[in-house]
Parts: sequence; structure tokens; C-alpha cells
Amino acid sequence: MKKNLFRIILIVSFILFSVYLLLPTLWDARHQKALHGLSPADSVKYYDENESSIRNAREKRLKLGLDLQGGMYVTMEVDVIQLLDKMAKNKDEALREILEETRVEAMTSDASVLDIFSRKFNERGIRLSRYYGDIRDSNADVMSKLRDESEKAVERALEIIRNRIDQYGVAEVSIARSGSRRIILELPGVSDEREVRSLIQETAQLEFKLLADENVQYKTIENIDKVLRGVSIEDEADTLVAEGDTSVVAPLLATADTIDTDEAIAADIIDDDTMSADALTDTRLSPEEEMEKFRKENPFMSLLIMTEFGYFATEDQRPRISNILDRPDVKKVIPDDVQFAWSAKPRTFTDTPVYELYLLKAKPELTGEVITNAQAQIDQGGLGTSAVVTMQMDAAGSREWARITGANVNKQIAIVLDNAVFSAPNVRQKIIGGNSQIDGMANMDEARLLEIVLKAGALPAPVEIIEERTVGPSLGEDSIVKGVNSFAIGLVLILIFMLMYYQFGGFSADIAVTFNVLFVLAILAGFRGTLTLPGIAGILLTVGMAVDANVLINERIREEFALGKTVRAAIDSGYSRAFPAIIDSNLTTLITCLILYQFGSGPVQGFALTLMIGIICSLFTAIIMTRVIMETTLESAPKLVRFG
Amino acid sequence: MRIFKNLNIDFMSMRRLFYVVSAIIVVGGIASITFKGIEFGLDFKGGTEVVVRFPRVVEIGELRDIMRGADLGSIEIKTFGSNRDYIVRTEQKGVGTTISDKIKETLEQSFPMGIEVLQENRVEAKIGAEIRRDAVIAIFIALIGILVYIGFRFKLIFAVGAVIALFHDVILTFGLISFFTGIIPGLNLEFGQAMVAAFLTLVGYSINDTVIVFDRIRENLKLFKSSAFEPLINKSINTTMSRTILTSTTTMIAMLSLLFLGGEATRGFAFAMAIGIITGSYSSIFVASALTLDWAKARNIKITF
Repeated sequence: MKKNLFRIILIVSFILFSVYLLLPTLWDARHQKALHGLSPADSVKYYDENESSIRNAREKRLKLGLDLQGGMYVTMEVDVIQLLDKMAKNKDEALREILEETRVEAMTSDASVLDIFSRKFNERGIRLSRYYGDIRDSNADVMSKLRDESEKAVERALEIIRNRIDQYGVAEVSIARSGSRRIILELPGVSDEREVRSLIQETAQLEFKLLADENVQYKTIENIDKVLRGVSIEDEADTLVAEGDTSVVAPLLATADTIDTDEAIAADIIDDDTMSADALTDTRLSPEEEMEKFRKENPFMSLLIMTEFGYFATEDQRPRISNILDRPDVKKVIPDDVQFAWSAKPRTFTDTPVYELYLLKAKPELTGEVITNAQAQIDQGGLGTSAVVTMQMDAAGSREWARITGANVNKQIAIVLDNAVFSAPNVRQKIIGGNSQIDGMANMDEARLLEIVLKAGALPAPVEIIEERTVGPSLGEDSIVKGVNSFAIGLVLILIFMLMYYQFGGFSADIAVTFNVLFVLAILAGFRGTLTLPGIAGILLTVGMAVDANVLINERIREEFALGKTVRAAIDSGYSRAFPAIIDSNLTTLITCLILYQFGSGPVQGFALTLMIGIICSLFTAIIMTRVIMETTLESAPKLVRFG
Repeated sequence: MRIFKNLNIDFMSMRRLFYVVSAIIVVGGIASITFKGIEFGLDFKGGTEVVVRFPRVVEIGELRDIMRGADLGSIEIKTFGSNRDYIVRTEQKGVGTTISDKIKETLEQSFPMGIEVLQENRVEAKIGAEIRRDAVIAIFIALIGILVYIGFRFKLIFAVGAVIALFHDVILTFGLISFFTGIIPGLNLEFGQAMVAAFLTLVGYSINDTVIVFDRIRENLKLFKSSAFEPLINKSINTTMSRTILTSTTTMIAMLSLLFLGGEATRGFAFAMAIGIITGSYSSIFVASALTLDWAKARNIKITF
């Protein structure tokens, strides 16, 4: 017993840790079930009460792959030919011809588009610098510039799409770069291809917009509060309140489609009226009551954090605020010449990241096409080093820019990409000549992001969808049922078989295999992996193969036993002799899994991953766990230890 | 319970017979691959496919007639697990969703009660070519990796036998898949990413089996230094036989469960694996061990560890 104490502690802590990793998955299932069973109003209440727990469980649960929950998988590639076309300084017949030839050849060739393109130039004896880069550049220089640009185009496309998705409010979208030219987008639960397509392929809109006057912003927010309180500035509050049918929690929760918050909001508003009437008669309020009163009287403003720099909101409040701003009755009190916009990225004044809510002039002062270049750099100016972005404009743009900046000194101009504000620098002086410098960046990353955004206006990042897979929700459900069934039945049959064949040895192998499944799921959840249908197949295969190590050990024990050894000696030498075979056979399987993971894509990687985790876990369960079971049983109930 | 007690079969004396058996199956397989070919799935070919569930049972001929009117070039129609679910596929790739929309429209006209789209995929030929290339690279790297590992852990002579056994398994399984394509109704044996996964897994599984036998040979070589090589191999195979059968059985249970109860997506995988489990165990004896023996004999090599 003493000898095994360390092992027992190890095993128990592994099991506890696995349960800990899988708990969010269970919680999530319970929350989802509860939300489904409740009436719309109750489910909103439930959500509000358990918000942090629900979010936490959602985030840490074992996620299902697109093939199991339905959704869309899209692979995009930057259209290099279109990019080359856009970047050319002059577009004559010869260039068009070369581009067209490149396009045709690239369709059937393995070579990169840029290589084909440069070869075409060489064949004709034309210098690349005639169309790209500086006139004195050698072909190699131009090529390296073009290569750099096509890399940057991927980054740009990634940023543009990410920015849109952030605003679109799709839950749990994964967007990732794959290789040097590709972007992979995974949208669980989304099956409207057209919507996604426009999200991806529409040209990005970069605009410079003036911030609205602070008083206008305050007044507008006040007016929104009046609408929400039911005290309409145009005396039509009663009918308007009934119209508000936006579901507040919808973007937060995939299952919230059916939730309608009509009742909840209406109930609140009725409360408001009675409360404020009461408040007038009662002047002695505690600070909490004061807060409560303010909250009731200013339902919109109280969602915001007011500072001297502007209005902010936490991540949690943002969807609520956006929904209020989308209500038709609220829209009516926002003046036509202004619009609300969020900052694209959160800022961290304190521990919690906050988004700024801007009020912008609706009409852009200038659009992004005038930008010819943007560059993030380190400025060694007066106050030490700081990250800045420089921006150049073309002749027409520069003239406009000079007029705009001249008329708005000491005002802020927002740099807006697809309705998200990336920066709102203060104009210090009139800028003549089109060369501007934007400073105040916290670090180089922020500067680089702004560079990407500014270039998105100048050089769009044309992407083409080269792979698109959509799984409908009913097929997903079907797959879950079939996957789980085949897994459960396969597992049970194997467990029964082992028990019959090896008796006690089989029993301990069964325990090992069962915990192996638990460990694989826990590790998958812990690493934020996703469970796919091939993944389930991988776990089932792991069960079949994890038994192998147990079989090797049990066979060896039988052999040693047949040689006339005592049970204890047979177990000891059985384990030590089976060890090299177990290591060799599992390592070779691991090699193939690693290769599969490296070369496979999507679901196949899921398979390779579960198989790898399963094999590694099976070494632990087969070698350490079963041995503890056997030895402790041998001490306490030796009669049970039989190997058939 | 015991299946084999004190098994004592002279496997190695039968090896020439099984060389012939293997050769026949491999040649037959290659013939099937050459003449009948392998069906490639969308992953490899590129194109557009829509998986549809119809409101009632539909015959494949009926669907062919409906789709003939759609002017979409050559259209491939296959069952997807049941006779209500079908894959409709074309190698044409239009801009955006034009092709899949056309397929859906054509079907909706003939089924006014409505159809349910289970799945929709579009893959550019370019991606297909890449997946194909990656698959070949992956399988070769796996084979080389294993050759190196076995050469390092055992002896080069064992590694050569093991890798030839793997080639044997891969070609044989390939051949059998080609042979069974279209023969078993409802079983879709298209070559796609899942199939590549199956091949790599069976490579891993098969080497697993071989390693167990080799491990025993290595151990016995150390124990019985004076014993001749052939009886020693026989002894090693006989003592590991029970383990081989048992592990194959449990893995087979897993794969059969997947084959019959699992979804359409993993069916081809399970079938290939099921073949692989059998050939893997077979080849560890009659290809890997047997070739090692013959090579040692021909070169007169005395193997010691």
C-alpha cells in the first residue's frame, strides 16, 4: 500500500483535475436545458441572474465541431492577380495581357502567382519597375516588395473581416490565418451563406468623420433616456414602447433566438413611472437608492460609463446598448446628420476593457481612396520614442485634407473602417501637402493595426473563397446521435469482451479504458479543443487500441504465471517485460498521428488530435493505473486476482 | 478464457505459400485500381455538392432524370446513408453559390413539399490538388519515419521487412477498396480526407502489430543465443498470437460499431480500417517477419542484439 501511495495520489489528482476540466461542459448543458425550458420572460431573468456562470461555462466547455453543431467553414485566399492589377502604376495593354496569361496559368500550375508573373516579365524582357515600385529598382527588389505587399494584404483582409465579425455579433467565430496567403473562417450555427459572403467580400469602407459636438451627444443620450422612460419628446411614448421588440440577450447567446424581451422591458418601464413619482415625494435617499433612482430615470445613460474623455461601455453592456440604438423609436430621436459608432478595439483604463461610444457626423469628410500610403514607425521626437503612423494622400485628397484640417483645428477626426472607429486623433494644425502623422499610440502593435486600417482604404484586400462547407443543423444532430451511439455500443462491447476474457485482469483494464475516455475528453476541453465526428471515431479507436497495452500486460502475466511464478512475481515481471513492446508500438502510432495532424485539415486534425491524446493517456492508464488496482487488490483480496 | 493454449504452428514454413497469396491479392488490387479505378470525393476533385434530404423515398434514377434538365454538365448522384438522403455533385464551380443554388432550385421544382439541405460544399480544384499532394506526402513521410524508428530501435534488416509490409498493406487495402467500390449498396468508398486518415491510421496500426512480433523476436534472440533464426521467429509469433488476435478483435469491435452505427462521414473510414486490421496482423507475420527471415538467410546474416 505504502509503495503505491504516491501513484494513488497521482491517479486521484488526475481524475479530480479531469472532472474539474469537464465541469463547465456539464454546467453549460444544464444552463442550456434550463433556458430552453423557460418562458421567454423567465429565460431573460434566468440569464440575468446567472450571467457570469453561463458565460464562464460557455467559454470553457468542450466545444462541438461544425460537423456536429452545424455551421459554415470558409477558406479564403487573397486574390494576388487582382492585387497586382490594383497596385500597378500604369495599366497598359501589355500589363493586362500578362495578368490574364498569369491568371490562366495559375489555375493549372503549382507555382505561386507571383513567380509566374515575374517569369512572364522576364520572357518579354520588360522590367517590373515599369509598373511597380521605384523606377530604379531591380526586378528582384520589386519582387520582394510585391511579396511583402501580398503578405500584408492577407493581414489587411484578416483585420477587415475580424472587424466586421466583431460588429456582426456572431458568437464564437474563429478566424485564423493559415499559411502565408490563406484565412480560415469558422462560423458555428450560421448557415446563411449569402450573408457571410457579403461579410467577407464587400469592399472595405474607410472614412474620415468628424465627431459630433459634445452637447449634441449629451442631448441625444438624454433624449434616448426619455424615450426609454416613456416620456417622449413628441408625446408618443406609449405606442413606441410597445414597438420595442429587440431581444436584448440575442447576440450573447446562440439559443436566444426565441427570447423576446418585450415583457421584461415593458415591466421595467411601468416600474419607472411609479418609482419616479415616489422619488419626488421622498428626499432622503441613501447612496444606493440614489444610484437606483438614477438608473431608473436614465435607463440608457446608466449603462454607459461617463468620463471626461467620452462615453464608454463594458463588453457586457455593449450588445444591450447596440440593441437599444437599433430600436426604431430610439432611432427617431437621433438627429439625421449624426450616428453612433463604437471603437473597434477595447481600451483598458482599469481592469475591465471598455469600448468607447462615439457620436459622429454621418457624412464623411473624406473617404479612404485618397490614401496612397501609410506606415507605422517609431518617432524619436521631443518626448522620447513613441509609436506613430504616417499617412500620405494623393493630390486631390491633400487639397481636401488641408481644407478639412484647417477648419477643424483642435477637433477630433475619427478614422472609421466599416463603421468601427479605430482612432480619433485631435487635429493640431492645418495639414498642407497630404503628409500627416498620427501619434498617441500606446505601442507599436496599435500603430501597425492603424497602418493596416489606413491601407485598407487605399488598397483593398481582394479575397476569393476557395473552399466552403456548410453543415445544416439537422445533419449535425443526426451525427451527434450516431456518433454517440456507435461510440457507446462499441465501448460496452469491448468492456464486456475484456472482462470475459481476462476476468480480473479484464476488470482492471476496463477501469483503465473508461478513465482513458474521461481523460481524453478532459484534456480536449482543457486545451479548448473541439470535438468533431472524426474525433469521436478517434476516441473509439483509442479505446480499441488502448486495450492493446492492457492485453500485452495481461498476456505476459499469464505467460509468467504459466512458468510457475507466484501471482505477485508474475504481475511484476509481466509489467516490466511488456513495457518495451508497449512503448515501441505506441510511439510508432504516435509518429503517424503527428504526421496526420500536420498534413490533415479541419476534421481530420480533430481525429489525429484525439488519437494522440488517447494514446498518451493510455500509457498512463495501462501502465500505472491498472498496476495500482492489481496490487492493492492483491493485498486486500488476493482471491479476486485471477487472469482467466 | 483462452483461445490459444500452447500454440505451436510452423508459420515460417508456410511463408512461400503466403507470398503467392499476397502477390495474387496485390496484383488483383493493382489491376482493380488500374482498370476500375478509385472514386475520388469532392475533397480531391473540387466542385460543388449538395446533400439533400427528400420528403419521401426517392429512386436514384428519378433524381438522374430530374437533374438531367438542369444543364450543369456531368452530374454525379449518390446515396448518403439512406434512400431519402442523396449527394448531388458536379465538377462545375460557379461564382459564389450559383451552382448549388441551381441544384437546389431544380430539385425544389420537382419536390414542391420542400427539400432539406443537409450539407453544402464547394471546393476549388486548386485546394483539391493540394489535399491530394499533402495526402501522398503524409503517407510517404509516415513510412520513412517508421523506417527510421524501427531501424533505430531494432536493426535495419527488420525495418526493411516492416516497411515492405506496410506498402503491402496500403496497396492491398487500396485494391480492396477499389474492388468493393459500388459493390456494397449504401457503402460510399470515395477517397477523401477521411480515407487518408484511415490509411495513415492503418499504417500506424499495422506497424503496431509488427513491432509486437519484432519485440518478441528481439527478446528471444537475447534469451536463446544459440537457437536458429527460423524456429525462433516461429516461437515469437506463436507466443504473441493470442495478443494479436485479441487486440485485433477489440479494435475490430470498435470499427464495426462505427461502420454499422456511425454516421455517413465515418463509414468509409471504418471500412478501410477494418480491412487494415486484418491485413496488418497478417502482414506482420507473413510479410514483415517472413521477409526478414528470407533476407537474413540469403545474406547469411546472424542477427544479435
